[in-house]
Amino acid sequence: MIGNDIVDLNTIKPNWNRKRFLDKVFTEKEQHIISVSENQHQTLWLLWSMKEAAYKIYVQQFGKQFFNPKKLVCYLSSSTSGYITIENETYTTTSTISKDYIYTVASLNYSENYTSAVFKIENDSYITQSESLKNRFFETISKSEGLNFNNLNIRKNILGVPKLFHNNSKLPIQMSLTHCGNYCGYVYF
Amino acid sequence: MEKNELITKLKSIVEPYIQDEEAFKNLSEETDFVKDLKINSANLVDVILDVEDAFDIRIENDEMEKMLSVKAAMDIVNSKLEAK
Repeated sequence: MIGNDIVDLNTIKPNWNRKRFLDKVFTEKEQHIISVSENQHQTLWLLWSMKEAAYKIYVQQFGKQFFNPKKLVCYLSSSTSGYITIENETYTTTSTISKDYIYTVASLNYSENYTSAVFKIENDSYITQSESLKNRFFETISKSEGLNFNNLNIRKNILGVPKLFHNNSKLPIQMSLTHCGNYCGYVYF
Repeated sequence: MEKNELITKLKSIVEPYIQDEEAFKNLSEETDFVKDLKINSANLVDVILDVEDAFDIRIENDEMEKMLSVKAAMDIVNSKLEAK
């Protein structure tokens, strides 16, 4: 299972200095990591994207949703890699940090050999982004799997977990899509 | 608080964060913040903080955990207001 999350650092609202925001989302230890870091805005959204990417796996794994980012606890092993723990689970995370965005992929196992891509879209409306992201993802899949682009489609289950289909048959591909502001990303294996 | 009044108040709180106009127009108790209104999760924190401010209440994290729909938000706000 796999999950990803992207944060557009230019469009995300800088509400992180609201103490109550921090208390709702981050543990004391995480708040400390943020407060001593050189770039607080970047570190905050790095930890956030780790939690979000890991949450997407949790929902697939256990079939339940909740809203409590503090329960997903971040550990950084380096500036771009780390892991998240929740209940008895551990998810590995790998992040890409640029001046414009932070992108994290979380996976259940280190060994998962996934394909991941990030790209920019000038139009930041939700629907346009969502469509462009899907099209880019289908183009990649149709090339790599030798399938007709027009027959690919995504169906979401009741929890909003996306599954990739070719006509009416579900493909044995794990995937996750994300967009925020002007940036999009997909990951699959 | 009376149901319609509460929905109206919640509707004005979520408005700045919604990404699906159609779902917003048809907002009801059954509306889901993320699935229907496409509110991103960072903004969901803002919704919760704004709800706290608007009703002068404090929502604990284990209560926030369930606040994924208008109905769940209404239940929490009402129970907090009654406890005041």
